[in-house]
Amino acid sequence: MSRLIDVENLTLQFDTDEGRITAVDDVSFSLDAGKIMGLVGESGSGKSVTAKSLMKLNPRNAVYGENTKITLHLDDGPVDVMSLQNDHEMKVVRGGSISLIFQEPMASFAPAISIGDQMIEQLLIHTSFSKSQAKEVSIEMLDRVGISDPSMRFSQYAFELSGGMRQRAMIAMALSTKPKLLIADEPTTALDVTIQAQVIDLMKDLVTEFGMGIIFITHDLGVIAQTADNVAVMYLGRLVEQGTVRDVIRSPAHPYTRGLLAALPTLDDIDAPLTPIPGDIPSPLERPSGCVYNTRCQEFIGPRCSAKVPVFSQIDAGHAAACHLYDRAGDAE
Amino acid sequence: MVQFLRFATLRAALAFFTLCLVSFIVFSLMEMVPGDCAERYLAFKNSQGAMISIADIEFERVRLGLHKPFLQRWATWLFNAFQGEFGDSCILRLNINQLLGQKIWLSIGICLGSLVLAYAIAIPVGIIAATSRNPFLNNGLRLVSYLGLALPNFLLALMVMLFSTVVFGNSLTGLFSPEFRDAPWNTAKVLDFLGHVWLPVFILGWSATAFAIQTVRALLSDEIGKLYVTAAAARGVSGRRLLMRYPARHALSPIINSLGFDLNRIFNELPIVALILTLTEAGSLLIEALARSNDQQLAGAIIFFLTGCIIAINFITDIVLALVDPRIRRSILG
Ligand SMILES: Nc1ncnc2c1ncn2[C@@H]1O[C@H](COP(=O)(O)OP(=O)(O)OP(=O)(O)O)[C@@H](O)[C@H]1O
Ligand SMILES: [Mg+2]
Repeated sequence: MSRLIDVENLTLQFDTDEGRITAVDDVSFSLDAGKIMGLVGESGSGKSVTAKSLMKLNPRNAVYGENTKITLHLDDGPVDVMSLQNDHEMKVVRGGSISLIFQEPMASFAPAISIGDQMIEQLLIHTSFSKSQAKEVSIEMLDRVGISDPSMRFSQYAFELSGGMRQRAMIAMALSTKPKLLIADEPTTALDVTIQAQVIDLMKDLVTEFGMGIIFITHDLGVIAQTADNVAVMYLGRLVEQGTVRDVIRSPAHPYTRGLLAALPTLDDIDAPLTPIPGDIPSPLERPSGCVYNTRCQEFIGPRCSAKVPVFSQIDAGHAAACHLYDRAGDAE
Repeated sequence: MVQFLRFATLRAALAFFTLCLVSFIVFSLMEMVPGDCAERYLAFKNSQGAMISIADIEFERVRLGLHKPFLQRWATWLFNAFQGEFGDSCILRLNINQLLGQKIWLSIGICLGSLVLAYAIAIPVGIIAATSRNPFLNNGLRLVSYLGLALPNFLLALMVMLFSTVVFGNSLTGLFSPEFRDAPWNTAKVLDFLGHVWLPVFILGWSATAFAIQTVRALLSDEIGKLYVTAAAARGVSGRRLLMRYPARHALSPIINSLGFDLNRIFNELPIVALILTLTEAGSLLIEALARSNDQQLAGAIIFFLTGCIIAINFITDIVLALVDPRIRRSILG
C-alpha cells in the first residue's frame, strides 16, 4: 500500500476575543491509499478543524504551529501543504486531490446556484473538460451515487432535494474530480438509519473502485466499526489512541476510548445501563495541564497525569495510546 | 412563462388593490376634516371681502357634487385618479394637473436619483467594507457612515446653503435659475436643471447612502460567513469569482428587497429638504397644501402619486426578485 498523506505535529490555534485557544494540539497520523481512517471524538474535540487544516481552509484567525507538516503524496511527487501560498497553488488540496464533504449537507450548497452549475464549476477549475463534458461527467456521477433521474436533479437547487439526496449530491460533487483523498465530516449524522447504511456502502464501494483514501469523521464508534480500517480517537484537540479498528474496539487502551465505548448503547441488551463519561468537556480556554483527559479520567493514577503530557506508547503492532498507564519510560522517572 | 405572467398579474392586482386601499384612507381623511371644499372655498372668499350666504354654499356643494354619498364620490375620484385626472384644487381653483405639472415628476426623479446614487456608492463601498481586513479602512468607513446616519438631512442642507452663500455668494437653492423657471424645456434648461438638481439629490442621497452602506455591508458579511462559501472555497473556487458568485450574488435578493424601504425613507425626507432649498417640487406643495391652505384635493392627489410610486417600486422589486432568486422563482412556478 502506498502512503497517501502524512500529518505531523499538526497544531492549530485560534485568535479570539477571549484569547488564543488551542483547537488541535500536536496531532500526527498517516493514511495509505485505499484505506479508510475513522476520526472519532466528542463534539468540540477538533475533528472538523483538523479536516479543514488538510486543505488549509481554516478562517483567518487560525494560527498553525510552526512544526506543523502535512505531506500529500501524489503520483507526480509529494506536496507540502503548509507551504502552499496562493489560491492557484492551493487548488490541488481544495477540490483537486482532496475533497471535503461537509458536516451539514444542507448548508454546503449555495442556495441560488443549481447543483449542476456548482458541479460544472468545480470540474472546470480542476480538469480540462469542456462545459458539455463536465455536464456529462456530473450527471454520470449523480447517477453513480444512486440519485434517480440525475439529469433532472442536475438542474435543480439544493432546497429542492431531500436531505439524503443532498448528501448524495454532495458526495457526487466531491468525487467528480476523482480526488485521492476524501474527507467525510460526519457524512451520515444528518441521515436516517437506512440512508446512512446506503451512504456507508457507497463510500466503501468508491474506495475499492477509485482506490482513494478516506478520512471518515464521526462521533459514532458504531459507524466506525462498520466502515473504517484504522481509527484515531481525539479528545480536546489531541489524539489519545490510534490503531486498527479491530484492536481499538475490541481492546481499547485509553480510558477515554473505553469511556466512549461504554457509552454506546447495545441492541443485544437494551436493559443494560448506559454509562456516559462523567464530567463535562473542559472549555477550550481552560485546557487541563498534563494529560488533557485527566479531569474526567476514571483511571487517574496520580500527579503525573495532571503534570506531564503523555506520549504515545505502543500497545501492539499498529496500536498505540497516549496514556501514563502505558508509559514505561515515565515510570522510571 | 405562463406561470410567471400569472404571478406578475397577481402582484399587479395586489398592488392595484393596495393603491385603492390607500386612496380610500386618503379620501376618508380628507372627508373627516371639518368643513367641505365648498365651505372652505367660500369662507376663503369671505375673508377676501365677498359676502356669502348659506344658499351660496349649498349651490356650490351641488356644483362640486359634494351632496352625493361618500362612497360614490370616492369611486368617482378613484376612477378619475387612475386616468390621471384629479379635478381642481379646492382653494386655488386651478386644475391640479396643471398645478402639479412636472413637479411630481421632478420629485420622483430627485428621489430615484438619490436612490440610484446611494446604491451606486453603497454597493462597491459595502463590498470593500465587508471584505477588507484593513482596520483603518473599516473604521474610517464606519465613521463616515455613522456621520451620514447621525447628521439630519435638513441640517446638512442648511450647512451647504450657508457655506455656499458665504463662499460663492449664491445659496444654490431652487431647481432652476430664474430665467429658466417658466421657459419650455431645451438643452440650456436641462443643463441649468442639472446644475441645480445635484444638490438635493446629494443631500437626500447622503443619509440614504450611509444607510445603504450599512445594509450592504451587514448583508454581505452575513453571507460571507455562511458555510456554502467555505464549501465553495473547498472546491477550489477562489478570489473575485468566489466573492461575486457566492456571497455577493446571494446578498442581492435582500438588497433588492430593501430598495422599496429606502425609497420610502427618501420620500419622507424630501419635503423638508425641499422646503429649505426652496424647491418647488411636489413635496413642498404637499406641505403647503396640508399645513397652510388645508387644500385636501391637492394633498390627496399628491399622496396618491407618492404612494403610487412606492407601490410601483415594491411591485418592480418583487418581479426582479422572482427573476434573480430561484427559491422565489420556484415557489411561484410550483
Ligand atoms: N473559527 C474559529 N474560531 C475560534 N474557535 C474555533 C473556530 N473554529 C472552531 N473553533 C473551536 O475549535 C474547537 C474544535 O471545533 P471542531 O469544529 O473541530 O469540533 P468537532 O470535533 O468537529 O465537533 P463536532 O462533533 O461538534 O463537529 C471548538 O472548541 C471550536 O469552538
Ligand atoms: Mg465537526
